[in-house]
Amino acid sequence: MSVKDMQENWEPKILVFACNWCTYAGADLAGLSRLQYPPNIRILRVPCSGRVNPQFVLRAFQRGIDGVLVAGCHPGDCHYVTGNYFTRRRYLLMQRLLQYVGIDPERFQARWISGSEGPKFQQVVTEITEEIKAMGPNRKMRDV
Amino acid sequence: MNEITNKMRKIAGEILQKGEASVVIGWEKGTFWYLSPPAFIDKVEDVDRLVWDDFCHNNLSKYLVDFKYKEEKVAIFVKGCDSRAFNRLLQDKQIEREKVILIGIPCPGLKDQDQAKTLGKEGDIPKAEKCLECKYPNPLVYDYYLGEKEELDEVAATKEAPNYSDVEAIEAMSPDERYEFWTKQYDRCIRCYACRNVCPACNCRECVFDQTCVGWIGKANNSSENQFFALTRAMHVAGRCIECGECERACPMDIPIMLLNKKIIKDINELFGEYDAGIDVDSKLPLGHFDKSDPEEFM
Repeated sequence: MSVKDMQENWEPKILVFACNWCTYAGADLAGLSRLQYPPNIRILRVPCSGRVNPQFVLRAFQRGIDGVLVAGCHPGDCHYVTGNYFTRRRYLLMQRLLQYVGIDPERFQARWISGSEGPKFQQVVTEITEEIKAMGPNRKMRDV
Repeated sequence: MNEITNKMRKIAGEILQKGEASVVIGWEKGTFWYLSPPAFIDKVEDVDRLVWDDFCHNNLSKYLVDFKYKEEKVAIFVKGCDSRAFNRLLQDKQIEREKVILIGIPCPGLKDQDQAKTLGKEGDIPKAEKCLECKYPNPLVYDYYLGEKEELDEVAATKEAPNYSDVEAIEAMSPDERYEFWTKQYDRCIRCYACRNVCPACNCRECVFDQTCVGWIGKANNSSENQFFALTRAMHVAGRCIECGECERACPMDIPIMLLNKKIIKDINELFGEYDAGIDVDSKLPLGHFDKSDPEEFM
């Protein structure tokens, strides 16, 4: 495949950190319900959205991911009771910091998706993929 | 020879003589007249090395972490920012209050070393940038106190709301401009980790950047890894930074590190309510607790 073909056939790579108890179940439900969503996402299951170290997100951008989604249980529903409240605080800051250093806001997002929200998972993933497709590949922070 | 220097030497001598502490941490004159690096005094005859002048920038609370596992008591001199760092270390359970003797010094604001170097001894050296905005010139916690504090309290009370104009200037740029700005800054980074070594908020037993485990941190000195370092460090000191500005002063490449830290402080204030780190030992930490009514943007 030539470089030109690669540019034309470019597809975004999107990393989804899915919490084991809600979002992963939500993704599972989307699959069981035969809901179509773009195959651009890579789901990485984590015990809790609170497990997602900001370094994971940075590392993903370095290694060629075009967009990152951190998804977990709705506040109040965390399997570990308080995990996602901490996530919320941490990622409110992290999101602003990433924008401050020039990463586009679309590239890093966080959402609450519960185990029964299969359609929401489909919708969120589709939206993000479309946004990032429109923006093109991420060149910022890339380790190349 | 100023009055506070004399008092410092006297009190340090007394503390060592009585054996109240085995070491006194203060400042001494360094290689140049505009440098006052930290001094570790453990003999009574050495107390004359101690000085207090316009260049005692180092945040001495940082060095208490080195004495964490030792039995001995330590005495340190603290300015306003040092005392905030001390409180913050107490909150992180890095040190025990009983093992430290604090000698407070009211700080009228220190002078800029780089300017001093160019202007010379006779020049009118401006205050260091970090000191212009200082809200807490007086030590907040101390066992002994040297000097008068009242007048400085008045100065601090008349200070206006914190000035974030430099942060706002960057926020006003477009994402690409911001990225260009930070890339330019961090491309200079030589990863000497001076910012980390001098920072009282960086008090982990083993720093993530010292990890040898593959995968945690790249050792390459390139644009991407430097930014990774910058952002990781900014997130690690979030809620801990006491705005002593030491990172920026220690940086040999003049990277405006405080611009990152100030951005986080600004956001913490806006999102989670007014918070100044290291003021009250009993206060809740912004990233160590949560509130159910925190802003909700992730629905």
